[in-house]
Amino acid sequence: MFQKQLMMYLVFAMILAFVTGCNSGEDPSSQGESEISSETGDKSITLLFSFASTTIDPHQDWMGVRAGIAETLVKVDEDLDIKPWLAESWEQNDDRTWTFTIREGVTFHDGTAVNGEAVKASFERIMEVNDALASNLKIDTMEASGQDITFTTTEEYPAFVSELVHTNASIIKVDAENISEQPIATGPFQVVDFTSEAEVKLERYDGYWDGAANLDEVTVKFNSDGNVRALALQSGEADIAYHLPPETLDPVEANDNLRVESVSSLRAHFVLYNAAKPALQDLHVRKAIDLLINRDVAVSEIMNGHATAANGPFNPDFAFANNEEPESYDPSQAEALLKQAGYEKNENGKLEKDGESLTLTLATFQGRPELPLMAQYLQAEAANIGIEINIVTVENIDSYLWDQQDEWDLATYSMLTAPRGDGGYFLNVAYLPEGSLNPGQINIPELNELTQRLNVIANVDERVALQKQAVEIIQEEVPQSFILYPHIIVGVSERIKNWSPGSEEYYLITNTMDVE
Amino acid sequence: MRVLSIIGSRFVQLIIMILVLSFVTFLLMKITPGDPIRAILKVDDMISTTIEEEKLMKEFGYDQPILVQYGQWLWNVAQFDLGESVIAKRPVLDMIMSRLPATVALTIGGMVVLFIISVPLGVLGAVYEGRWPDYVSRWIAMMGASIPSFWLGLLLIYVFSLKFNLLPVMGTGTLAHFVLPSITLGIAMSPMYIRLLRERLIATLQSSYIEAAKARGLRKERILLFHALRGSLIPLVTMFGLSIGSLLGGITVIEILFSWPGMGELIVNAVMQRDYPVIQGYIIIVGFLVVISNLIVDVMYLMINPQIKQGKEVG
Repeated sequence: MFQKQLMMYLVFAMILAFVTGCNSGEDPSSQGESEISSETGDKSITLLFSFASTTIDPHQDWMGVRAGIAETLVKVDEDLDIKPWLAESWEQNDDRTWTFTIREGVTFHDGTAVNGEAVKASFERIMEVNDALASNLKIDTMEASGQDITFTTTEEYPAFVSELVHTNASIIKVDAENISEQPIATGPFQVVDFTSEAEVKLERYDGYWDGAANLDEVTVKFNSDGNVRALALQSGEADIAYHLPPETLDPVEANDNLRVESVSSLRAHFVLYNAAKPALQDLHVRKAIDLLINRDVAVSEIMNGHATAANGPFNPDFAFANNEEPESYDPSQAEALLKQAGYEKNENGKLEKDGESLTLTLATFQGRPELPLMAQYLQAEAANIGIEINIVTVENIDSYLWDQQDEWDLATYSMLTAPRGDGGYFLNVAYLPEGSLNPGQINIPELNELTQRLNVIANVDERVALQKQAVEIIQEEVPQSFILYPHIIVGVSERIKNWSPGSEEYYLITNTMDVE
Repeated sequence: MRVLSIIGSRFVQLIIMILVLSFVTFLLMKITPGDPIRAILKVDDMISTTIEEEKLMKEFGYDQPILVQYGQWLWNVAQFDLGESVIAKRPVLDMIMSRLPATVALTIGGMVVLFIISVPLGVLGAVYEGRWPDYVSRWIAMMGASIPSFWLGLLLIYVFSLKFNLLPVMGTGTLAHFVLPSITLGIAMSPMYIRLLRERLIATLQSSYIEAAKARGLRKERILLFHALRGSLIPLVTMFGLSIGSLLGGITVIEILFSWPGMGELIVNAVMQRDYPVIQGYIIIVGFLVVISNLIVDVMYLMINPQIKQGKEVG
C-alpha cells in the first residue's frame, strides 16, 4: 500500500516537472522572431552564422560590415571588382598619395553627417586598435578637407585601394560610447542589442544614404555547431543559415520552404610541400604526387559536389586566375615521373632510390573535417604506386608546421587566396621567404622577384598580367598541389527575396534584401 | 565559530591552490605549441612577415623566460589586474564576468533537472531494490551515462524543436530557452547521483536509527522522506562539491551547442587562439568558484547534519 502511494507520488512529481517544463515552452515570446513580427506586420529575419563574434567593434571584428552596421570606403562587387561605396570617387595623386571623395548625404546612425574629418578620425582609431590592419594599410599621414580625405602611404603602395576593402577599415563614429557592443556607423542597420558570442539584434536605420532597408529588424545569431544550424533553419528559427555541413543538406533540400545556395569561395584547399626536404626538392616527385590527386573524386565524394576542382591558387572567377583544366588524375604518369627521378620498386613493392624508400609524413588537422579525408585518400593512392605516406593529425596545424619544420613532408592546408579580390596577398604571405604563411620554406627566386615587382604596380591590367605570370610559375614549380575551391553552403528560407550569398562573405545583410 | 574557522582555513587553501593552479596552467600553455601572434597579426587575411611576428613576440614579452613571464602576470594579479585579452583587446575580468551569470544560471537549471531526475529514480531504485522499478532506474542511469551530451542535445533539439515545435533550438532570453540546455545538462550529470543515492538509501534503510524509528511506529513515508533521505543526501552534496570542476568542463559543450552566452565559447576560442591572459583569468576565477562552492558544501553539511566536525568523517 505504502509503496504504491509513494510510486504514484513520484510518477506524479516527474510528470508535473515535465509538464511545467514544456509549458514554459508555449510562452508566446519564445517563438521564432519571424513569427512574432509577422503578427505585427514588421518584416524581420534571422541569420545564423558559424563564427561567433566576441565584439562587434567594426575595427576589430568582421561582423560590423557583415551585419550591415558599418561600411567601408570601397567594396568588391559580385564579380570581385573594386567599386565605390562610402567614397564616390578617388584618384591617385602620386605614387604615395590618394584622395577619396566621400559621398554627400551619408550620415551616422545618430544623424551626424560623415565628412573627411570623420573618416580621418575613424582611420586614426584603426591605427590604435588594429595593429595588423595598421601595418597593412601603411598610412603615413591623413588630411581632411570638406568631403575629401587624402592618404599618404609610408611607401609606394599600389594595393592601397584594394586593402581598404578589408571590413575592419570601416567608418564609424569614434566618440561613441561602448563601440565594442553598440558601434555607431553608416550602414542600413543599427545595433539594438549585442550579446557577446550569441547574437546581434538590429533595426532599420531610416536615414540610410542608399535608401532605407526593406526589412524592419534583423537578428544575427551565432552557433558553431553545423548540425544545430541546420536544425534551426528547418525549425524556422533561422531564415538564413551559413556554412551548413554537406551531410546535413538532404532534409534541407527536401523541404519545399527551403533552398540551398552553394557559391564558390575565395578559399583553396591544397597540399603543401616542404621545400626543405631533399626528396621534395625534386620537381618530379612533387609533380608525381600532384598527379595522384583525384580532384574530381575529392569534389564529388568528399565535398558532395559543393566545391570546384582547382587548377591553381586562385578561384577561376578572377581575371588573374588561369583558365587551364585542372591537372587530371594519372597514376601511371606519376609512376613514370618517379622512375625518371631514379626511384625503383624494391622487393616489398615500395619505391626506393639509393637504398632509401620514399616514405613521407603528411600533416593534417581536424579544423576543416574534409582535409583529413583528402589526406587519407592521397595516402591510399600513393600506396598503390609504392609511396608510403604516414599521416599525423595535429591540433594546431600552424604551430606544428612552423615549430617542427623538419618532421613533415606534406601538409593539407587551406587559405583564403584572394581575400580582397587581389592575389597579391597570397603571393606575399605564402611564397616570399619571410612570408608569415610559408612554413614550407618555399623560395622560388623568379616568383619572389615577380611579387616584389607586383607590390609596386598600380595599374590593374598590369597587375592582372603579372599575377597570371605568377600563377604560371606556380603551375610549373608545383610548390603546392591545389586540390579544390570549397563552396560556401548556405541554407535559405524561400521567404527571403533579393538575396544571395557572395563569395567574399563580407556583405551578408543588405538594404535590398526582403521577405515575402 | 566553527564556520569561521572553516572559512579561514579555506582562504589559505584558496591562495595556495590558485598559485599552484595558475603556475601549472601557465607552464602547460607555454609548453603546448602555438602562440597568439598569428591570430593578432590576422595572417589569415592580411599580409605579414615572420619579421613582424618576431617583433610582436618581443613586444608581448613572449621571448622572455617562462618564470619572468609568470612573475609579471602574478604581480599584476596581486594588484587585482587580470590584464587584457591580446586578441579582443578588452579587460579579461569584464569578458569573464559578463558571461559568468549565464553559466551559473545554466548550472542551476541543470541542478534542478538533476534533482527532479535523480531523487525519484534513486528512491525508486532503493525502495524497489531488485524489482522492475529498480531495473528501470538502472537502465535510465546507464543510458544517461553512455550518451554523449552533444548528441543528446542534438536529439532533444530534433524532437522538441523540430518535430513538436515546442521549444527554441538555441539562444537565450526566455524561460523556454532554459529548458533544453538544462535537461541536457541534468541528464548528463544524473547517472552518478541516481546510483549513489540508491546505494546510500539502501544502506541507510537498514541502519539502526531507521529501525528505531520504525519501532516507534512512524509512518513509512515519513521515515523514508524525512529520516532516510536526509541522511543519504550528504554524499550527494559532497559529490556535487567535488564535481563542480568537471561540471564546468561539461557545460562548455552544452553552451556551445545551444549558443548559450556563458563562458564556453569564450574559453574554447581563447584556448584555440592561445589568448593567454583570458585562459589564465578563467583558471583563476573558476578555481575561486570551485573553492567557494566547496566551502558552501561544507557549511551545508553542518546544516544537514550538525554532528559532523570539520576534518572528521562521519560513519
